[in-house]
Amino acid sequence: MHGSMPLDEVLMIIALGAYVTSALALLVYFFSREEWLRHLGIPLAIAGCAAQFAQLIARYEITHIWPLLNLYGSLSLFAAVSVAIYLYFAFRYDLWFAGGFVVGLAALFLAYGVTWNEGTMPAVPSLQSYWAKIHVPLVVSSYAAFMVAFVLSAMFLVKYYFEKSLGQTQETRVPAMAAAAGSQGADVPLHSGFAYQGLSVSMRADTPNIASAAQAGNAVAQWLNTMPTLAQLDILVYRVVAVGLPLLTLGVITGAMWAHESWGAYWQWDPKETAALFSWIVYAIYMHLHTRRDWRGLRSIWVSAVGFLSIMFCYFGVNLWISGLHSYKL
Amino acid sequence: MSYLRAYYADFTRTFSNVLFAVCLLLIWGLLTLAGVIVAQGKDPGDYFSMYAPPLARLILRLNADNIYHTPYYLAIIGLILTSLAVCTFKRVIPARLPRLHPVAVDKIPLSAAITVDQALPDVRARAEGFLRRRGWLVRKREFNGTEWTFADKYNWARRGVLVAHIGFTIIAAGTCVYWARGFSGDLPLLAGQTIAVPHSSASIRLNSFHYRISPIMTKSGMVYQPIDYVSNVTVIQHGTASQRLIRVNHPIDIGGTLFYQSSYGFALRFLVRHTGVRDAALSSKTYVVGDTITLPGSQREIAVAQFIPTVDRQSGQPSSDPRVTNPAVALQVTEGGQNAGAALVPLNTWIDVGDGWRITPSSYVMVSGLQYRYDPGVALVGIGAFVLLAGLVISFYFLPARLFVRITPAPRGTTVEVAATTVKGYDIFEKEFNELLQEFERALRPQEPQRVFAEAT
Ligand code: HEM
Repeated sequence: MHGSMPLDEVLMIIALGAYVTSALALLVYFFSREEWLRHLGIPLAIAGCAAQFAQLIARYEITHIWPLLNLYGSLSLFAAVSVAIYLYFAFRYDLWFAGGFVVGLAALFLAYGVTWNEGTMPAVPSLQSYWAKIHVPLVVSSYAAFMVAFVLSAMFLVKYYFEKSLGQTQETRVPAMAAAAGSQGADVPLHSGFAYQGLSVSMRADTPNIASAAQAGNAVAQWLNTMPTLAQLDILVYRVVAVGLPLLTLGVITGAMWAHESWGAYWQWDPKETAALFSWIVYAIYMHLHTRRDWRGLRSIWVSAVGFLSIMFCYFGVNLWISGLHSYKL
Repeated sequence: MSYLRAYYADFTRTFSNVLFAVCLLLIWGLLTLAGVIVAQGKDPGDYFSMYAPPLARLILRLNADNIYHTPYYLAIIGLILTSLAVCTFKRVIPARLPRLHPVAVDKIPLSAAITVDQALPDVRARAEGFLRRRGWLVRKREFNGTEWTFADKYNWARRGVLVAHIGFTIIAAGTCVYWARGFSGDLPLLAGQTIAVPHSSASIRLNSFHYRISPIMTKSGMVYQPIDYVSNVTVIQHGTASQRLIRVNHPIDIGGTLFYQSSYGFALRFLVRHTGVRDAALSSKTYVVGDTITLPGSQREIAVAQFIPTVDRQSGQPSSDPRVTNPAVALQVTEGGQNAGAALVPLNTWIDVGDGWRITPSSYVMVSGLQYRYDPGVALVGIGAFVLLAGLVISFYFLPARLFVRITPAPRGTTVEVAATTVKGYDIFEKEFNELLQEFERALRPQEPQRVFAEAT
C-alpha cells in the first residue's frame, strides 16, 4: 500500500463526513424548514449509508474476515442500518423532521465504533460459524430500528411535555392528551383540512396549545407544530418497533440456534442473552400496552424509550462491564 | 358454590386482563435484569467481596446468585402461562368478526364522501369491483331500505395474537420436556482417558487435543487469538470403534446425545521423591489444577495452583502467551492448613518442599473440556420460536380493517360515503385510508370528481 490509505478506511471517512454534514443540514432543516437543506441532507445520508455498506464489503474483501464480530464492525453496521431504516420510513411516511437526530446519532455511534478499530483479527473458534453471519446482522438491525423508534419517542415526549407546559401556563385543560392516549378520543374535532395528502396534513390537531403558541410566534412551538400529531408519532413509533421486535426475536432465535451448536445448549443464561431477553420483554410490554386505547401514546412511548435504554445496556453495558461465557480456559 | 363461582369469575377476569399480563411481564423482566446485574453462580464468598455484607447476604438468601432456577422465577413464568391460557380461552378465541351493522359515517374519524356524476347502479358495480380487486371481502346488507357494503381485510390476522401466544406456550412446553427427560453435563477428558458416556452404553476416549492460537499485533498490543480447538476422539458403541473430531461449532452426535467442544486445560504429572526415592503412588497420578499432593507422614500439602504455559525467559514471570513454550507450575504449600509458601516451578526442575521431599513437575497432559447434552425438547422450542415469530409478524403487518360504504343517490349523480375502522384504532390506518380513497375515487369515475369531505362537529 506504501502509505496510501486502504479503500475501507477511505470509505469510512467518506461515510462519516457525509453523515456529519447530513446531520447538520437536517438539523438546521428541522429548525428553519428550508427545503433545500432537506434536499442536501437526505442525499448525503443516502451517500453515507451506501459508503458504509461499501466499506463493510471492502473490509471483507481485503481481510476475508467477517467484519461484524467486534464492536467496530457491529457499530458500523448499526449506524448503517439505522440510517437505512430511517430513510425507508422517511420516504414512506415523510419523516424528514427526524433526520438530523437519527443521522446525528448514527454518526456519533460510528465515530465511537472507529475508536474500537483494532485492525484485522481472525475470529475466535466459537465465532467461526455461519451463524455469525446471520445472527449478528439481525440483532444489530433490531437495535438500529429501536434507535429510530427512540428518536421518534423522544420527539413525542418533547412535544407532549411542551404542550403540557403551555397548557399549565395558560391554565387550560389539555384536551390533546385524550387524543394522544387513544385514537378514538371523540372530543377532539377532525382537522377541517383532512384530505388525501398523507401525513403532512394532521387528521386531528392534538396539541392545540402548541398550535396557538406557534401562531403567536413562539419559535419552539413553530418547530414542534410542523411535526406530525402526537397520535401520528405514536403510530410511527409502533411501526418502527414492528420492524425491531420481529428482528430482535429472530436474532434471539438464531443466537439460540448458534449457542446450541457452539455451547451445547440453546440457552445458557449468559448475561448477553439475558440482557437481550430483558429488552425483548420490555418491547413485549410496549406491544401489549399499545393494544389498549388508554395506554397508547404517553405511557407506551415511555416504555419504548426505556426499551432503547435496555438495548444500549445490552449492547454496551454487558460487553464492557459484565464478563460473559466467552472464556475458553478451564 | 356461588362463592366459588364469584372467585372463579374474579380469577378469569384478572388473568385475562392485558394490564395484569403487563405487570407479570414487568416482574419477569425485572427478575431477568437482576440476573444480568448480579453475577450468577459464583462462590458465596465472591458476593461478600463484590457487595456490602447486608446486600451479599440478601443476594444469597434470595438465591439471586442462581435466580433463573429459583422457585419464584419459575413461578412468574408459570403465572404468565396461566394468564396466557385464561386470556386465550376467554378473550382471544371468542373474539369474532364484529356484526355487520350500519354506522354514522361522519362520526368516524376516518371517513369521506365522494360525489360522482354516474348513476347509482354503475357506481355500485364500480365500487364493488374496486374493493374486490383490492382484496377486500365484500358483503352487502340492506338496512331500512339503504344498501350498505361492508368490506373486510386481513380478518384472519386477528388470530395473530393467538399464534404468538401459542408459540410462547410451545417454547415453554419444550423447556419442560428437557427438564423431564433431558440431561447435560461437563466431561473433562484427559488425553488417553476413556470415559463411559452418561445415560448410554457408549464410551468415549480422547486420543489427543489440539489448539491453534495466533499471536496478532493490534493497535493496543499483542493479542493471542485462539483459532481452533479440536478433540480427536474414539467413540466405542455396540462393540465398534469410530474415530471422530469434535470442534467448536461442530458437535458430534452419539445416540442422540450431542458432544461439544467447550473448553480446554492442562493436567500435570509430578515426580515425587522422598530422600531421593521415587514415591510410586504420588508419581503415577495425574493432577488437575486445584488438586493437592498430600505428603505421607507430614502435615504438608502441595496444591497445584496454576499451570502457566509460558514463562517469560527474561523476567521469569508468567506471560500472557497461552501457547506452551516455556511451561511452569504454580504450587502452593500449606502446613496444617496454614500457608507455608508458594513457588513457580518450571517443568523438569525440582523444588524442595521440606522434610526431605522434592517435587518435579515432569510433564503436562492436555485436557479437553467437553460438554454433553441430550435435549428431546429442542425441536419443540425451535417450532415454538418460529410460531411466535409468525404471530408477531401477523400481528404487526396484517391489520384487520373494515370499510363501511353507503352509496346513495345525490341531486346530481351518486354519493359514496366511506368510513374505516381497524382493530388498532384509526391513526394507524390514516395513511392507507387516504391512499385507498384516492384510488377509490379514480375507480369510481374516470373524470375529476367533485369531493365533499366529512366534517364532524
Ligand atoms: C402474560 C401473559 C399474556 C397475556 C395475558 C397476553 C394477553 C394479550 C392480549 C389480551 C392481547 C390482545 C389485546 C387486544 O388486541 O385487544 C395480546 C396481544 C398480543 N400478545 Fe400477548 N399476552 C401475554 C403474553 C404474551 C407473550 C409472552 C407474547 C410473546 C411475544 C405475546 C404476544 C402478543 C402479540 C404479538 C400480541 C398482538 C399485539 C398487537 O397486535 O399489537 N403475548 N396479548
